[in-house]
Order: sequence, then structure tokens, then C-alpha cells
Amino acid sequence: MAAATDDAGDSNEMIRVVSSDGEHFEMPEAAANLSLVLRHMIEDDCADAAGIPLAVVAAKPLAKIVDYCTKHAAKSSGLTIEEAEELKRFDAEFIEVDTDMLYDLLVAADFMGVEGLSKLAVQRTADLIKGKTPEQNRETFGIVNDFTPEEEEEICKENEWAFQITKPPSRLC
Amino acid sequence: MTMEKMLVRMENHGADPQMLERNVDFMCQLILSCLPDPPVYSDAVLSANDDSSGGGAEDRISALPDDLLRGIVSRLPVKDAARTAALSSRWRRIWLSAPLVLVDTHLLPPGGEGLPPPDATGAVAAAVSRVLETHPGPFRCVVLACSKMYARRGEVARWLHLLAVKGVRELVFVNRPRPMDVTLPATVFALAPLSRLYLGTWRFPDTAALPRGAGFPHLRELGLYCVAMEDRDLDFILAKSPVLECLGVYWSQRQIVLLRLASHSLRCVQLSMCIVEGIAVVDAPRLERLLLWEMFQDHNYGMGRTRLRIGHAPELRLLGYLRPGIHVLEIGNTIIKAGTKASPRTIVPSVNILALKVHFEVRNEAKLLPSFLRCFPNVETLHVESEKADEPAGKLNLKFWQEAGRIECLQSCIKYVVFHGYGGERSELSFLKYILECGQVLQEMVIVVVNGMFSSWDEVNDKLLKPLDSVKKASADCNVTVLESTIPDGDSSCCLRDAFDFSISDPFGCY
Repeated sequence: MAAATDDAGDSNEMIRVVSSDGEHFEMPEAAANLSLVLRHMIEDDCADAAGIPLAVVAAKPLAKIVDYCTKHAAKSSGLTIEEAEELKRFDAEFIEVDTDMLYDLLVAADFMGVEGLSKLAVQRTADLIKGKTPEQNRETFGIVNDFTPEEEEEICKENEWAFQITKPPSRLC
Repeated sequence: MTMEKMLVRMENHGADPQMLERNVDFMCQLILSCLPDPPVYSDAVLSANDDSSGGGAEDRISALPDDLLRGIVSRLPVKDAARTAALSSRWRRIWLSAPLVLVDTHLLPPGGEGLPPPDATGAVAAAVSRVLETHPGPFRCVVLACSKMYARRGEVARWLHLLAVKGVRELVFVNRPRPMDVTLPATVFALAPLSRLYLGTWRFPDTAALPRGAGFPHLRELGLYCVAMEDRDLDFILAKSPVLECLGVYWSQRQIVLLRLASHSLRCVQLSMCIVEGIAVVDAPRLERLLLWEMFQDHNYGMGRTRLRIGHAPELRLLGYLRPGIHVLEIGNTIIKAGTKASPRTIVPSVNILALKVHFEVRNEAKLLPSFLRCFPNVETLHVESEKADEPAGKLNLKFWQEAGRIECLQSCIKYVVFHGYGGERSELSFLKYILECGQVLQEMVIVVVNGMFSSWDEVNDKLLKPLDSVKKASADCNVTVLESTIPDGDSSCCLRDAFDFSISDPFGCY
């Protein structure tokens, strides 16, 4: 419905960004606008041919983020139900990454202010933690237990109701 | 009469109590299936390779900023979230400062499909008490839906106190399920920070007796499921919720005599499974969506008719399902009848998505259709659902439509038509033919046929597509698509949720 009169979307300009390790990327302005940081830079006329430098985002996660924003910018509001479903499927596939990439995405999406991606990466991390004992999670994520045995026992007692694991064992590991 | 009184009366007349219990359970299932998705899910699917990549690696996750870790903990089912406190001292601090998300059904033992059973042993209630007491807050979202509140008045009072003290933002509060008319504790009305509230299976307290300060200054979304209330209670809520945007009333336990919409904040109103005598959109300058789903008819009152009066609603874009057989449509001060001529005082120019339910086999009803359509000259998307009539009474042929005179929206505006529930009747076919014949800007027509209606695509071709092909189309490049419905009859739970999601442009579009 909006397509015919959408003059605002006329600025089909490509925005260039540069990763911390010096790689250049391009995405449509509408995609860059999904990042709060990039949007402010564009509004302040900081987007030039040299590209916006992103000092804490390396090329590997940046490539993913450009991908994500480009896909989501194409359809952001006025979704049909099928389009909303399709975006969900895209997201599910997109976030099937290893934990290293997941941390990179968490930090980068947070830094760049890409809300949808931030939520997606946070949910994925939560999904990895879910249904496991603290010991299993420490092993998965390399978390060091700095409690004394007494402290640990006290915490377990405090939250006793939470330690009756709700998952059948076969799905725990 | 409330539903509970009806159930008691049925029991006294010898109805099988187990059968009644099952029916009430079924209703409860519907209520729970329509609730908004909680912000956390309990069904994580873990695959083996998730672990291999991180095992024994350096601890990068604990190096993330506090806010991110809090975000992660808030997305965990509450048991998993509480267990993170045992990981390390850093994580313990995070659990105690992460906004609490508590869904009580996640505290139930595992297993069991469908409706979670009510918490019989009190283990869930005990854990709920424990979490609410020990977590310092803030409480982002609390879903209490599996306790028999009636049997736990002391605990429930304490919960509400804690919810108030720790400023709960979103609350789902469902009483399981009988008796169905337990009075809602009045302290709910003191939960001022609430932005989202869903109540299920309660009776409203006497709202006139509530303290003056009671109300919801921040409430944006309100769902009332199976609540016994008077009109004045709804009026009270609307008056005391100055920023309320979304209101849903589902399965009202009492008949609504007049739902009076006078609100400067409401954007979407949905009614489903209610007996309603009248709806009056009196003054709703921001109202964009008015959705009337499955509605019950009570033939003892008002002859089973529902009056729908549209007054000041300049932003109303989406309206439906209008049912010419049941709704008495009134625009401004004019009641729309068969043959009512369109005039500036009888049109709602803002509506561009319209949904109708029609018994095409009932002549008197279908005859109202042209008049109804003329009230909405700017409709671009039209959903028509064909309903089976118990007693067919006169068919309408193509000639009827051709002689009905100009219908502005069909001729010059409609781009997209979805015909739901096509059952192969001649009057349905003539309506479709007529639209193809006159829709000058029609781009697409989707016909959703009743599940199992045609045995093969050859039959679809012979009985539906070929006859439609014979029509001289006003818009040459219009697509006609035939689909078979995938949704079981009457299942509109997904649509209910979609309507409050303003990023979805057309919540009638699920089929």
C-alpha cells in the first residue's frame, strides 16, 4: 500500500563502513539506519566515500551484521503474515553460529545499536544455557567457579526449587 | 447470569460434573492459547555441536558487559535463570539485578502436551512465593496461570503485595478455573506501573467502591479473558487507563450491553466470543483497528442483533468482521439498511481494510452487502468470509449485483480480495464474478476453499477457475489464486495476537 507513494525511500544511497581490521563493506542507507550509531553518523553527515570506521567491530561479524540489516531493511513495517514468518525463518538460520561468533555479534550489535539483532543473539545465548546444570554450563562457557564449597551450598539451598532439573537427561548434553 | 451460575444450575439439573469440568478445561485451554507469547520459552532445543565449540574455552561470556548478561538471564525460564546464580560470584550478582521474568508454568514438572494442569500440590505456588520474596526486583514480567487462586487467598494477597512493591510491568493473572466467579482482589488496581495486563477467569470487584487513586496510568495493553463484569467496570477501566492503546475482551462471562469507546489513546480494540448488544465508537481519535471475531448470539436479548455505531473515529483503518446478518450498522446517526444511499454522512473514508462475514445463501442478508460496502469507499483490501446457512433462503445471482448500482470501493479502490470459506455455492460464485467484472484496479483475488471441498485440482479448475475465466475482467492483469484452508474451523488465536502487533499490516490475513 505504501509502495506507490514512498518518496522518502528515494535515497537509495549506499553507505560504506570499515571494520576494525580495515575491510570495507557497503549496504543500502535503509539497512544502515537499523543501527542507531550509523543512523546518527548519517544524520550528522559523517557518511562519506571513505566509509564510517567501526573501531571495535572486526570484518567477520561486520559481514554478518551487514547481511542482517540488509535483509531486515527490505521489509521493516507493514509486513504481511507470510513476510513476518519468512523473517523469522531467516533469523533462525542466521543465528546458527559458533559461540565465538555469537560473542562477537552480541558485542557488535550492542555497540552499533542494532536492536533486533541484539535480541536475537541474546535469545540464542539463553537457549545455549537453558536446561543445563551449573557444572555443564561452566564447562560449555569456560566459567571459573570462584565460590567456596560453603558458599555454593548456600546458594543451592537458597534456590532449591530451581535445582530440580526439568529436562529429561537425554537432552541435557 | 454469569457462566459459573449457569454451570451450577446445569449441575443441579443432573449434568455430569466431569463433563462440565472438561468443558471448562477446554475453555481454559483456549484462553491460554490466546495469551501473548511470554518473553521466555522453556523449550530449548540443544544440539550436540552447540557444546563442542565452547567446551574448555576461555571465559569470554563473563567478559560481556553487565547489561548484556542481565538481558541473557532475563530471557531464561526462571529455573534456569536462578541456576545461573550458582555459576560464579559475577553471575550471582547478575541474577539478583536482572529484571525478573517469571512464568509459573515453567515451574511445573516436565512432560504433558497442551494445557498445563493446575498446580495441585502447591509446589508451584511455593516456588512462586520464594522467587517473589527473594528477588529484589525489578519485575519485568510475571505470568501466574496455573494456581487455583481461590484456594490460596493468603499467598495470592502476599504475591500482589510483592508485585506492587517491586513494580511489576507486565502481569498475566489467571485463576484456574472453577469457580469461575472468584472476585478479583482489588489490590490489582493498585499496580500502577503496569504497562501490560491480562486477567483470566475472574469476577470484577465493585469498581465504584475502589479507592480514588486506583487505576493504571501506564497501561498500554489490556486483555480480559472470561471475566464477569458489568458495563460500568469496562467504562471504569477505560477512564482510569489514560494511555491504553490495545484492549481485548474475550469470552466475557456476562453479556455486554453497551461497549462505549471514548478514549483518546486506544488504537486497537478486539472482541471475541462475547455476547454484545451494542458497541458505540463515540470518540476515539486514535482508533485504528476494531476487530470483532467469533461472537455469540443470545436470542433472548435484542433479537440476537448487535448494534455497531461508528461516530468519531477519523483514523479507523481496519474493521471487521462485520456481519450483515447480525450487526446493525450505524454511521453517525444513520442506520444502514438495504438500499441506503451513500452520502458524506454515511461513509467512513479512513477504512482501507474491511472484513465481512456473510451468509450468501440468505437473501435478506446478502442484500445488505452493497449498502455496507458503500459505507467504506476507500477499502483496498477486502476479506469476505462465507458462512454456511442452516436454512438457505433465496440465492443471489450475478444479475442482482449488476443491478445493485455503483459500489465505489469495488469499482475504483479494491486491489486485494480474499474470499474465505468458499463452499461452491452459486451465490458465492456470482459475487466473485461480479468483483472481477467491476474491479478496475483489482490486482489479486485469493479464494480459500473449505478444507476437503474439492477432491482434485481438475475439479477446482472445472467448477471454479473456468467459470471465473469466462468473466470479462475490468482489470486485465488481476491474478486469481485458489488455496485450501489450513486452519481448522474457528481457530483465530493467532489472529488475536497479530492484531495488537502494529507491524503486521493485516491481521485478517491468516488462512
